[in-house]
Amino acid sequence: MDLNKEEQLLTIGQAAEYLGVSLNTLRRWDESGKLVAINKDGGTHRYYREKDLEIFASDLLKFASEWIQGNVEFPGNFHCTTSSIFNARLTKMQMALIQKPGYEKLYSLIVLVAGEIGDNSFAHNLGKWPDTMGIFFGYDLTKRVIVLADRGLGILETLRQVRPELSNHVSAVEVAFTEFISGRAPERRGNGLKLVREVVTEQPINLFFTSGDAEVRMQGSDKVFQVTRGQHIVRGCLAKIEF
Amino acid sequence: MKLQLEKFGKTLISRELGGEAFKALQSTLRKLSSSDELEIDFSGVLTLSPSWADEFLSPLLNQLGDRLVLLPSDNLSIHATLRILKEVNKHPFKIKS
Repeated sequence: MDLNKEEQLLTIGQAAEYLGVSLNTLRRWDESGKLVAINKDGGTHRYYREKDLEIFASDLLKFASEWIQGNVEFPGNFHCTTSSIFNARLTKMQMALIQKPGYEKLYSLIVLVAGEIGDNSFAHNLGKWPDTMGIFFGYDLTKRVIVLADRGLGILETLRQVRPELSNHVSAVEVAFTEFISGRAPERRGNGLKLVREVVTEQPINLFFTSGDAEVRMQGSDKVFQVTRGQHIVRGCLAKIEF
Repeated sequence: MKLQLEKFGKTLISRELGGEAFKALQSTLRKLSSSDELEIDFSGVLTLSPSWADEFLSPLLNQLGDRLVLLPSDNLSIHATLRILKEVNKHPFKIKS
């Protein structure tokens, strides 16, 4: 079968650029079966269908979870190494969301929720990133989902700096979403996550947020804010916003 | 004196940049006489977050008190942010009707 005639194939270099990863990463992913390349006519060169890359890059939650749990590499175009890169990409998302029918007014609250969660990661880990600096920020406006994650200190360690008595992730996340307190006190006050909770409660926006083994699930029409203890301990924070 | 907030950007999210905006405004505020009001015009702003606003509007409220006047806006993020800041500051903003 002549694949070139059926569909234009991307070279490994083009695929690397598309996903924002190195050639070596693509070779490793091919060998491990994570993202299998096409070998044309039994040759040794690797090729990729654009559609396959699109599908591969669409599992945002999987990439974010694997990254914060095991530092597994993900497509680099989801990585915002600095706050200014995050702000630029958030603005780009905002412009696309404004054009989406039904979101002409709601867009600003979705951007507010994503912006607060992302900015919190930068504000609380400035100069303290344990290893990889920056955050994962991916979105799919067709599926109406946004995923954010960081490999930072997490809510408990951050809040312990001002509330040393906090003993577990669940109580720390509860404080973060309900009280006016900041890990950077006394100079700064935290109010962002409180407003995130209020906005998600009132609007057709769902939120899954986890830090350590604490989980917040606010979904459906009758949303109640509750922090529960989950099965896994995650590094830093992970959030999934659906709308 | 009227201040077009969009001169600081249309997407006002980052706490750090809110602080920078407040510092940058100080030279303009020197031109404000002690009886003048500072009117904040939100038109053109697409998203305002509580973190940005807490670094900008909260200290401005401390500095100017009732001389800080906010012009009305129908943007949902501005409404939500002003609501939480009122709770944080325990002082409502003066909004021009």
